Amino acid sequence: MASGSGSGSGSGSERWSEGLETEAAMAMETTDVELLKRAWRNEKAAPEILQFEAALVLRAREQIQLLEETLEEFTENGVDDLVVSLYQMDLDRTLFLLRSYLRIRLQKIEKYMIHISKTNLWNRLSEQEQRFAKRCTDIMEKHLEQSVLSRLPYGYQSILKQSISSEEDDMVPEPQLDTFVFCKTKSAVGAFQLDDTGDEIVDLVADDLYVLRYKSIKGLVEGGRIDLV
Amino acid sequence: MYGRRASQLLRELACSETGQLTTFNSDAFDQVIKECNEHNLQLQSLIRKIEDENLDIQTTRNEDHFGAVIHHLSLIRNKHCLMAYMYNRAETIQSLRWKVGPVLPQEIQEKLNYSEEEYFKNHSAAIESYMSELDLDLTVDMVPPKDPYIRVRVLDDIGEVCLGDHSISLTKHSLHFLRRTDAEPFISQGIMEEFLE
Repeated sequence: MASGSGSGSGSGSERWSEGLETEAAMAMETTDVELLKRAWRNEKAAPEILQFEAALVLRAREQIQLLEETLEEFTENGVDDLVVSLYQMDLDRTLFLLRSYLRIRLQKIEKYMIHISKTNLWNRLSEQEQRFAKRCTDIMEKHLEQSVLSRLPYGYQSILKQSISSEEDDMVPEPQLDTFVFCKTKSAVGAFQLDDTGDEIVDLVADDLYVLRYKSIKGLVEGGRIDLV
Repeated sequence: MYGRRASQLLRELACSETGQLTTFNSDAFDQVIKECNEHNLQLQSLIRKIEDENLDIQTTRNEDHFGAVIHHLSLIRNKHCLMAYMYNRAETIQSLRWKVGPVLPQEIQEKLNYSEEEYFKNHSAAIESYMSELDLDLTVDMVPPKDPYIRVRVLDDIGEVCLGDHSISLTKHSLHFLRRTDAEPFISQGIMEEFLE
């Protein structure tokens, strides 16, 4: 027993501190995973693209990398299969959230590429997403010009305007901000005005579930006071 | 009746199932373009007639003016329909990259016109460029994971495939126990299926 603990204490304490590190990482990860899940849910439910969570995505990727390295070590050291599959499950779920989050955003960019490029929604994109959006718009413009617009008479060849006599860009598809969304308040908001005329006022209590038009609660979502489900 | 050919294109769009493409209707398409150019000629000649009669273009409201307005509005209607046709097909083509992958099977390729084929390739490249910038494959993991590993049955002879750090021989009818993310691209191409007991 004495010799066992003696020879074991050196490598044992190393493993113990490594274990602590991973545990600390996993504890941090739980909060980060919650944040990622929230960002993912909001993005999924909102009709327009939301602010890119750069810091969160960076941290999530670091956690993923740490998990992958830990798993490699486990398989090298022949750790119990059950533990390995638990860590693997965790890794898979985090990876899915991250991939799905990025994918939903990309698909929103595909759908509203021209609208995003022309409004301040552009600032909600990450650098790489902006490059992607620019490429997408160029490709789409080229395609539409080639197949339709160049064959139409002069004065009707614009992609943004119906004809040169249009006063503003009337041919750009926009997201429907009027859609109803399910949302849950995080803390009490109090009396909240739903529209411009002040006809509809709703009392938003903490932790309650509501179905409202996205347009009315846009500001609250951006401020993080309400979550979409 | 102005605009009838154009509404035929739209009806084609409405009748097809979401996510499915019909063969590009170049006959109807070319006809609508021809109509647009005819409308334009009529429109221009009516405007010239007003100018020849020394009337003010901006304020005159005679039958020539209203004739010109009708041609202008019909042209715009046709333009809307053509743009809607192309744009909606382009959206379906975008979704194909996510659902099917970077290479389209022959039956779908046949339905695209030349510009659409190019559009698919360029759009695919844009998505791939973004993914490689992030070093993350976004076309796998399309459904929330239940098990990290799944049983699969190979449907077509695929041969030797390198997965991670070892290679596997994927012969027809063989059963394997693979990582879900490794198997997904094969499953979406239809050459492998999940083996559920």
